[in-house]
Amino acid sequence: MSDEKNNLLEVNNLKTSFHTSDGIVRSVRGITFHVEREESLGIVGESGCGKSVTMLSIMRLLEDNAQLEADSILFDGEDLAKKTKKEMRPIQGNRIGMIFQDPMTSLNPLFTIGEQIKNPLKRHQNLSGKEAQKKAIQMLELVGIPDPAKRMRQYPHELSGGMRQRVMIAIAMCCEPELLIADEPTTALDVTIQAQILDLMKDLKKKYHSSIILITHDLGVIAGVCSRIVVMYGGLIMEEGTTEEIFYQTAHPYTAGLLASIPKDTKEKLVPITGTPPDLLNPPKGCPFAARCKYAMKLCKEVQPEFTQLSTQHRAACWLLHPAVKQKLGEVKIR
Amino acid sequence: MIEKPNPLLQVEDLRMHFKLKGGLFSKAKFLKAVDGVSFSIQKGETMGLVGESGCGKTTVGRTILKLYHPTSGKVIYDGNDITEYSDKEMFPYRKKMQMIFQDPYTSLDPRMTVGSIIELPLKVHNLYQGKDRQDRVRELIQMVGLKPDHINRYPHEFSGGQRQRIGIARALAIEPEFIVCDEPISALDVSIQAQVINILEELQEKFHFSYLFISHDLSMVKHISNKVGVMYLGHLIEYASVEEMYQNMQHPYTKSLMSAVPIADPKKAAANQRVILQGDVPSPIHPPSGCPFRTRCPHAKKICEDQVPQLKKLNDDHMVACHLLS
Repeated sequence: MSDEKNNLLEVNNLKTSFHTSDGIVRSVRGITFHVEREESLGIVGESGCGKSVTMLSIMRLLEDNAQLEADSILFDGEDLAKKTKKEMRPIQGNRIGMIFQDPMTSLNPLFTIGEQIKNPLKRHQNLSGKEAQKKAIQMLELVGIPDPAKRMRQYPHELSGGMRQRVMIAIAMCCEPELLIADEPTTALDVTIQAQILDLMKDLKKKYHSSIILITHDLGVIAGVCSRIVVMYGGLIMEEGTTEEIFYQTAHPYTAGLLASIPKDTKEKLVPITGTPPDLLNPPKGCPFAARCKYAMKLCKEVQPEFTQLSTQHRAACWLLHPAVKQKLGEVKIR
Repeated sequence: MIEKPNPLLQVEDLRMHFKLKGGLFSKAKFLKAVDGVSFSIQKGETMGLVGESGCGKTTVGRTILKLYHPTSGKVIYDGNDITEYSDKEMFPYRKKMQMIFQDPYTSLDPRMTVGSIIELPLKVHNLYQGKDRQDRVRELIQMVGLKPDHINRYPHEFSGGQRQRIGIARALAIEPEFIVCDEPISALDVSIQAQVINILEELQEKFHFSYLFISHDLSMVKHISNKVGVMYLGHLIEYASVEEMYQNMQHPYTKSLMSAVPIADPKKAAANQRVILQGDVPSPIHPPSGCPFRTRCPHAKKICEDQVPQLKKLNDDHMVACHLLS
């Protein structure tokens, strides 16, 4: 484990469920992870694996039908899980910034770009109108928007997708947050624009000494940006480790499956993961991946595997790694 | 050879300009979605068409299927010029040319069962009668990896990947020769994408389909295609066999597009020399004069402003449209 003092965020046993007309959907089912200061952590997983819900839980932006349980969500020593909505205000958008997936819907169409950037500056930094105006123009310039003074007066629909995402980044970074949460920030963008946005995020992270949590389903994006990765599936963490460990010493069959699904440089046939992710209305009793796993044993379907620590940073939740199973089956090669 | 004789499909200088509403006194404007695209596809071959959103790749696919009437140019299918065919004359060709759509959530009728969705093309073309038809539907469902008892279910009961399989089964029902796959995997999760790609490949091996594979996922295009065309602002700017394209790309736009693709390998990603483009794609309503790419091209010269570069042969497997290369 890493030095605890150096952790900006520590999430301990977070569980989030939603009460719906169909029953209780257990989106996040007890996850523990941390974010160090000035690091970029990547969270990968398929749609519905709980990665976005995790972030909304940390930000306390869940809807009314959601229920959040956690031993603690420590942000710089303060427990966010115990805060009221009002107490969260000075943190949301100020000390933790957030970028959402869809720049088309996350900006308010009724307000100009300028008003939307000035809003957090006035609220959190107590800047006067003039100061906020100046800072907002600076921010737009910083995120690479040409002619920022003119853009300040424009509405979101007048900008392209890439430009809107830059504005979102300007809003998220204007209060110089310690933590930036980016939820699929480039999924809706073209590859050339994606490259621009990712570079911009890296530059701003360096400039403001922020930490980043990058949520994505794209292993390519993560490989280029993050130093550490958390792999989620069915509301649980499957594997966690440094980027090198996840890519080159893959320990969990799900991570291996994800890596095998993406085309390599050769014409080799892709190896898909058969089946579909579990329904979190009735989450499986054992390992959530058991139903799709090539190596699943009887045990996997019955009991949720515990984490096996593989190095100081690397751990995976899979029965194949358990010492007792290893003794019986020997080393199972998953790649 | 990239252009062989007797192709299954040949597209010649295809143009598709959409008329935009002009004011009462102002001149009507045109959106030049496709502006002079030529290529050909052989039987059993897959042509990948890549480019950023708004470059016209979907319009090319739809125009080939005559879902739009092209402004000019020719679409020649199996030796017959189908460009000016009426709906009635097109009918027999509808049986040969099919399409798989991008969004599996909107391309299936929510009020029809899976069985009737797949059966519809058989009904329209009056193929297989009575019990045979039901057997055929069952066969198709199994072919794409679904279960026969899914027949009476409705689309909302399926996940995205399963719905995409239903779309594939529908396209296959009447045994087409040529299928336009318009971003068939972009709405799917990574683990499901590989499943769908494998189905498309297996079916191609079995039935020798030709695919026009439209996608912005360059690594998947590399995987599935025999040849690749790169589009920018309605123009085909580079066109080559897949090996040539990925090893010996020439156009500055292709280079920056390829270098922007994230690599799922941290060591290679760190070594990747990226050419990051500045700015956004210009509007196709007011495209730049001369070369469409010149406003973002790091090497643009005076000639690029004055003349539209033509697609020229670099070698047998490779064509490129750039003034600086000729």
